[in-house]
Amino acid sequence: MAAEEIPLVFEFAPAIAVLPALSLVVALFFGEYFPKKGAEAGILATAGSLVLSLIMLATVAGGQTVNHELYTLVLGVSEETFGLHLGILIDPLSALMLTIVSLISFLVHVFSMGYMNDEGETGLPRYYGELGLFTASMLAFVMADNILMAFMFFELVGLASYLLIGFWFRDAGPPSAAKKAFLVTRFGDYFFLVGVVGIFATFFPATSTPGMFAGEHAFPVVAEHALAGEATVNTFGFEPQTWFTILGLLVLGGVIGKSAQFPLHSWLPDAMEGPTPVSALIHAATMVAAGVYLVARMYGFYALSPTALGVIALTGGFTALFAATMGVVKQEIKQVLAYSTISQYGYIMLGLGGGGYVAAVFHLTTHAVFKALLFLGAGSVIIAMHHNENMWDMGGLKEKMPVTYYSFLSGSLALAGIIPFAGFWSKDEVLFETLVHGLGTPTASSTLLLIGYAFGLVAVFFTGFYTFRMVFLTFHGEPRTDTAEDPHGVRWNVKAPLAVLGVLAATVGFINMTPVAELTGAHIEFLHQWLDMAPEEYLTNVHHYTEVLETASHYEAAHISPLAPGAVSLALALGGAGLAYQLYGTAAHPEPHTEKLGSIRTLLMHNYYLDEFQVWLATGVTYRVARAANTFDQGVVDGVVNGVSSVSLFSGSRVRRIQSGVVSNYASLITLSLVLLIAFFGIMGGWF
Amino acid sequence: MATTLPTWTALGPALLLGITALVLLIVDSIDPDTSNSTLLAGLSTVGSLAAFLFAGWLLVSGTGQPQTGGAITLFDDQLVVDGMSLFFALIVTSVATLVTVASHDYIADQPYQAEYYSLVMMAATGMTLMGSANSLATGFVSLELASLPSYALVTFLKKNRGSVEAGLKYFLIGALSSAVLAYGISLVYAASGHLQFDAVASAVANTEFVGVLGIGVLFVLGGFAFKTASVPFHFWAPEAYEGAPAPISAFLSSASKAAGFVLAFRVFTTAFPELAGLAGGPVTVDWVLAVEVLAVLTMFVGNFAAATQEKVKRMLAYSSVGHAGYVLIGLAALGGAPDKGFVLGASMMHLFIYGFMNTGAFLFIGLTEYWDIGRTFQDFNGLAKQAPLASVAMTVFLFSLAGLPIGGGFFSKFYLLAATAQSGTWILGAALIINSALSLFYYTRVVKAMWIEEPVNDFEIDSYPAGIYTAVIVAAVITFLLLPAFGLLSPSAVTGAAALF
Repeated sequence: MAAEEIPLVFEFAPAIAVLPALSLVVALFFGEYFPKKGAEAGILATAGSLVLSLIMLATVAGGQTVNHELYTLVLGVSEETFGLHLGILIDPLSALMLTIVSLISFLVHVFSMGYMNDEGETGLPRYYGELGLFTASMLAFVMADNILMAFMFFELVGLASYLLIGFWFRDAGPPSAAKKAFLVTRFGDYFFLVGVVGIFATFFPATSTPGMFAGEHAFPVVAEHALAGEATVNTFGFEPQTWFTILGLLVLGGVIGKSAQFPLHSWLPDAMEGPTPVSALIHAATMVAAGVYLVARMYGFYALSPTALGVIALTGGFTALFAATMGVVKQEIKQVLAYSTISQYGYIMLGLGGGGYVAAVFHLTTHAVFKALLFLGAGSVIIAMHHNENMWDMGGLKEKMPVTYYSFLSGSLALAGIIPFAGFWSKDEVLFETLVHGLGTPTASSTLLLIGYAFGLVAVFFTGFYTFRMVFLTFHGEPRTDTAEDPHGVRWNVKAPLAVLGVLAATVGFINMTPVAELTGAHIEFLHQWLDMAPEEYLTNVHHYTEVLETASHYEAAHISPLAPGAVSLALALGGAGLAYQLYGTAAHPEPHTEKLGSIRTLLMHNYYLDEFQVWLATGVTYRVARAANTFDQGVVDGVVNGVSSVSLFSGSRVRRIQSGVVSNYASLITLSLVLLIAFFGIMGGWF
Repeated sequence: MATTLPTWTALGPALLLGITALVLLIVDSIDPDTSNSTLLAGLSTVGSLAAFLFAGWLLVSGTGQPQTGGAITLFDDQLVVDGMSLFFALIVTSVATLVTVASHDYIADQPYQAEYYSLVMMAATGMTLMGSANSLATGFVSLELASLPSYALVTFLKKNRGSVEAGLKYFLIGALSSAVLAYGISLVYAASGHLQFDAVASAVANTEFVGVLGIGVLFVLGGFAFKTASVPFHFWAPEAYEGAPAPISAFLSSASKAAGFVLAFRVFTTAFPELAGLAGGPVTVDWVLAVEVLAVLTMFVGNFAAATQEKVKRMLAYSSVGHAGYVLIGLAALGGAPDKGFVLGASMMHLFIYGFMNTGAFLFIGLTEYWDIGRTFQDFNGLAKQAPLASVAMTVFLFSLAGLPIGGGFFSKFYLLAATAQSGTWILGAALIINSALSLFYYTRVVKAMWIEEPVNDFEIDSYPAGIYTAVIVAAVITFLLLPAFGLLSPSAVTGAAALF
């Protein structure tokens, strides 16, 4: 792979991640001396990354890609062991993701000037430095050409989010939320790490580069050959397909933790304790996106295992519905958005599991745009409300802040999935792909897909409801408090990112309008064509994945029109939105209707008591085990150690007594031991 | 080299030390009542430093080493200069330099200072010559040249009962050991008819007096065990080290020990290798096994006794015995080792680093004696608040002695362990590990007292003696630097050792 000719432009690819890393250094150490406390460095760096990413996008569109080793960590000795390296893989998928990440990160940096600088926060150099680290890690993760490098930067993303969630570490909430985010995602990453080791152990020596994502020697491809009986890999006594399922599920542990899927989703709502721009970054483009991006990156591997796909689809569908129900009763604007993120990533997982690779990437793209928009809009509202986040204290903000309102509305329509906003097209395609594969696949996994589809479809209704409940409570009706009566104004640096994203949220869905393509027969599924452009030798293009899905997992698509399912999901979304309008949109002072839900509301407000369950797991089970281990350590291990030391000291005091201080004793002892020595060796050596 | 110096200049380090001793005596005879300690300490420091630099230059320029034509022999093969003798000259002279610098303050109030310094120089001369001895006769003479001034130096504090008593005990045990050594030499001579090492080696190869030779070899081993303070000839060491002036304790426990070892290394590897089958022949007198027994005993006795002491100086004295056990590994692990130069080189490196860390530790004790703060562990409580710099230095010494990676002691112990692994003498490796773990316990007690405990009784340190401070800090810096620089020095030790086989 080192021998291949690299187009010159890709020599600059590492700079995409290096620029934000430089901004980390500059902001952290010299931020104090800048008028904006380091924001300049971050904005310049992410703008540079964005420009470079766009160049990459254009280059990839021109048919050039790169999959190339940059830096060798451990040199592999051929035949005997494999090497470890850092490298870059730029194909349509990663080029697209790079653009999304650097765009969102750039806008978040700009917005931060309004949210942090203008609000007089302290510690800004640290803030911008950590943002730089966050962006750099995510960009490097996206570019990674092998799973070990991906894991390393996956962990750095986790570290940066820990630092940023706990940015206000002097308050009570943020440090605890940061710890929770760190521990919960780390729990998943533990399985990921085992999976990485497993992948290396499995695919060496079948390939000398067992960790690679793309190419003839990449592990998904070797796994495919192994299933076809063309290659032998070390499967530790399992059937190849069973073993690949186990590996896939291990890696999925990290994905579930990072992408906040059930049951490791509980950290994400708490992570709202961090600054709102950070939430936007976490939810839209970095932390949470890293999980599903990993599945998309190694989709060729998951496509080999119908069980793993089924688990992904079911987890995704369930999470989509489960989180949406919790979003219905929340009172704080960011909490609603947090549960909507969990729910939307559920959809992406559903799409991946349901055989809709393009649909999932599509939803990942649109979601990044509209969720960043919603969070920044919420941030704008929070500035206006003097950092009061409770929606019941808002109301009537529509007239006071029109830019925020209209862009937020655009994002909400996209989130709810109302035609023609972005979310409609992508969510609809996710559901449609799941449905056709659920109906068409002859094997048992069709049931899993159909269950996942049902979950996802019901969740559409809830999504419509909670989204518009949020919009109506925040912006419509009469102001319910004095602060809402007279909100704090926001400047251009808040409005400009909102405007950019507001337009994108309305339009980005047009890149892959499958139903329209179906109706008119026009070739306008641009994203599909884009992802299918990956070079044949990488084996990461859409038609290859489709082929693998058919041969290995027996996924088959039923031939039905996308119009009817699309209409159903649109109707459900409108139904949810309409109900929200009925309950909250008509009255000037809406009633808190969800309180009528009684005990169900209590259950939802407590997030199905999952937090309590996890606390019980920690204190009731883990703590007890730890205490038992401690008792063992104190009693047995320390006992042995103490015993050894007291024996030593006792014998030491005995040895000491030989030293009597009387010199004639010494002389006789010396003589005696010399005689003993001679006697022993003399008899042994037969001298006498 | 463009011009080659005459071969006798290879003995330069020993000659320089001897000349310094004579110059000091001349100064003393001109002005017998002088107490100009700066002049005397300065003279001896200059002399030992010159010897040190000369030895270093000879070693670096390759004198007596394979790349310049091999060992230089003098006086009809009675003396030899090679990599190993120069390496040990470096150890002795560096310790002597540190000791003379520190003595400047330590004995500033004592009479007869010129005698003190000239005795130190004479002892150093003897120790340097021990590294060059190439026959049992010169070996014995140079050993006595090192020993006799040492007895006098231990008793130097004539008003101090402890010093005098320790000196007497040292002298009596020393006399017994010299007798044993001389008897051993005579038995070896009886069996072989030669005193020169190579001649002995070829003569004993097929001797019929195995019994006589065997007893002789063990007696010679006993004589060296005295000099290196190894069990069972170690009884003098705790008493002498404790009673002697602290710089002399440092000198004896570092330089004198190293000199004893170099003579032992040379005698056993050049005169008696075939007796233990090192050259591949049958084993007649298994001295490797005898050394192995002594090594294990020495490690255990030294460390276990050190663990129960109440006085810091006595603890260091016993730890010095324990370290002799570690160094004995160099001889004891020769049996099955494929790379014998590495095994012996590991011991040489340990002695080299030990020369700095142990000297430094004893000089720190000298500092506390100078301040008169007491001798027990409790007396050291809270010392770090009063003298942080010296306490940092002492911490470096102690942790390096224990084998933690804060000084060169980490690598030298690691090499010793590697040597035992290489030769498969697992019992030595196990003893090394067990005793190092135990030693960490008693070394840490001092560190804990200095840094963590609150002072028991109030004491104010009013003066900071420049000489002792300089010596302690220099020793600490070198101990620390030997951690990264270990790889620079170890090749010369290993090649110097390998030249013997």
